[in-house]
Amino acid sequence: MIITLKDVNKTYPGAVPLHVLKGINLDIERGELVSIMGASGSGKSTLLNILGILDTYDTGDYRLDGVLIKNLSENRAAELRNRMIGFVFQSFNLISYKNAVENVALPLFYQGVSRRKRNILAMEQLERMGLADRAHHLPGELSGGQKQRVAIARSLITKPSIILADEPTGALDSKTSKDVMQVFRQLNSDGMTIVIVTHDPNVGEATDRVIRIADGIIQPTTPTINV
Amino acid sequence: MKNPIFDLENWKEIGATLARNKTRTFLTAFGIFWGTAMLSMLWGGASGLKGLLMRNFDGFATNMAAIFPNRTSISYRGFNKGMRWSITQTDIDNIRARVPHIEASSGIAAQSVTAAYATKSTSSSVSGVEADYFKIQVPLLYSGRLINENDIFASRKVVVIGKNLADELFGSEDPLGKFVSLNGIYFQVVGVAGQTAEANIGGNKIDDSFLMPLSTMRRAFNMGNEVGFMIFMVSQSHSPDELKPAIFRTIRSNHPIHPEDDNAIGMFNVAEMFEMVDNLFLGISLLAIFVGAGTLIAGIIGVGNIMWIIVKERTQEIGIRRAIGAKPRDIIVQILSEGMVLTAIAGTAGICFATLVLAAVDHITTDPVTGSAHFQLSFSHAMTIMIVFLVLGTAAGLIPAIKAMRIKPIEAMNDK
Repeated sequence: MIITLKDVNKTYPGAVPLHVLKGINLDIERGELVSIMGASGSGKSTLLNILGILDTYDTGDYRLDGVLIKNLSENRAAELRNRMIGFVFQSFNLISYKNAVENVALPLFYQGVSRRKRNILAMEQLERMGLADRAHHLPGELSGGQKQRVAIARSLITKPSIILADEPTGALDSKTSKDVMQVFRQLNSDGMTIVIVTHDPNVGEATDRVIRIADGIIQPTTPTINV
Repeated sequence: MKNPIFDLENWKEIGATLARNKTRTFLTAFGIFWGTAMLSMLWGGASGLKGLLMRNFDGFATNMAAIFPNRTSISYRGFNKGMRWSITQTDIDNIRARVPHIEASSGIAAQSVTAAYATKSTSSSVSGVEADYFKIQVPLLYSGRLINENDIFASRKVVVIGKNLADELFGSEDPLGKFVSLNGIYFQVVGVAGQTAEANIGGNKIDDSFLMPLSTMRRAFNMGNEVGFMIFMVSQSHSPDELKPAIFRTIRSNHPIHPEDDNAIGMFNVAEMFEMVDNLFLGISLLAIFVGAGTLIAGIIGVGNIMWIIVKERTQEIGIRRAIGAKPRDIIVQILSEGMVLTAIAGTAGICFATLVLAAVDHITTDPVTGSAHFQLSFSHAMTIMIVFLVLGTAAGLIPAIKAMRIKPIEAMNDK
């Protein structure tokens, strides 16, 4: 198991406290390509943030690749995010004034890898995404699909345990969406564990397993088998 | 752990972010530049102004005073008020004998004369002085020697000629050993002297008058025992004012001056003047520091403001960086380094600019005789300004940096 959640609860405090995750139990195996689907407000984004160590939970246990993710200092959380998780976001979240190769190399900067080595590794990832000729373009000079592939290259550069994608096709047209999903499938077939949060049924269909979440609870489902 | 100072990449990051918004970076840098430049120029300027003003008193002892006679204002011993009297050599001898703490003193008598050498003549003045005169006002000796004790003792007919007079009467000829006629009496020139100060004792600068032994002067010009006035210098840790009662008492004992007649004897206290100048410059220095501190604070607020805007504007970017593994320390170091680099470069430029301006002013005000007025900023002052700016500039970035850390990465990323 690469991801194990046991009875994870999360409440947002406020005048009216909001209980968003109501005892989540979830297991994801190494090498799986799963999607987490749910309507807006279902708690799927909160779940993704907890999986990505971007947010904390109140009770329960979350283990990522055997490491208990609980009560971490911001430094330790940053280190684990850097080494274990690759993020892909709906809005790409590339740094606008850095070119493609610099964006891809950035996670390695925070590991203290030398510039030379970083850029070599970043070029390798861009080549893998078929973007070697766009390496020195700024994000503003790239199409949506290209930007997302740069983001995927960035998520891969630290050789993470899992890739977490938050609506990775939300900002893309249907053809580009298919291309991006194809990239994910390819990565998955190379052995990468990928978790995609989406509300798009087409994206869900393109994964091996769909985890449905509604009102903070995971809905019991039979695994879908893709042919 | 990697050291951010020695990591080239950190500097490239800083350069990239600062270069991203060139106008804003330039304006902030200009604020700091102007702050350091103003502070440096004010500091150096205050020093230069003091140098310029002190130049007026160059060569004068700072603890000197002059005693001179006035008309009496109270009738006494049968003499009407309004009587004229003169200080005599006896008075001076008495003062020297009875009043302690006088380090040097000289009677001075002045007279206007017609000076002639060969075919040239000019009207000028001559002052009779004693050897100690040159301790109280140190002259510039161009050639020859000054008046000494032996000249006084033997009433030698020698003169020290002022530099300007020497040029006028002798031209390119060397005046030493030549005889110059003053009101028809011949005196041998033993020295050529001048002065650097603008101030003078007795109405003429040394450059424009003759100096001769007081004893010679009294004999040659039939002055009897009379002396025009007396100057003296007190020993260290004493002030001329302190000696005033003793001096006045000594003079009254020898002249029909009413004991309560304070107007009859005049005393001009140069020490007081110097104190005034010192106070004036203390004031100017304080003003310079005050104005400089104002510009400094304005510059620092500018840095803080710009850092605040930079952090606000980059909330999303900071969120992304943190999501992909930047530690809080990485982000804070980056933001602080940006402020520090900006301050360091702009501050150095400001100090360099101020140094150039000061150098130009110094060059203009440098006098061939008296030299530089010291429109200069000492290295330690420059370093002080630089360090204060660096520390405050960095601190100004600290608040926005810490503020940026309070936002969760996920919220920061969604900031638009």
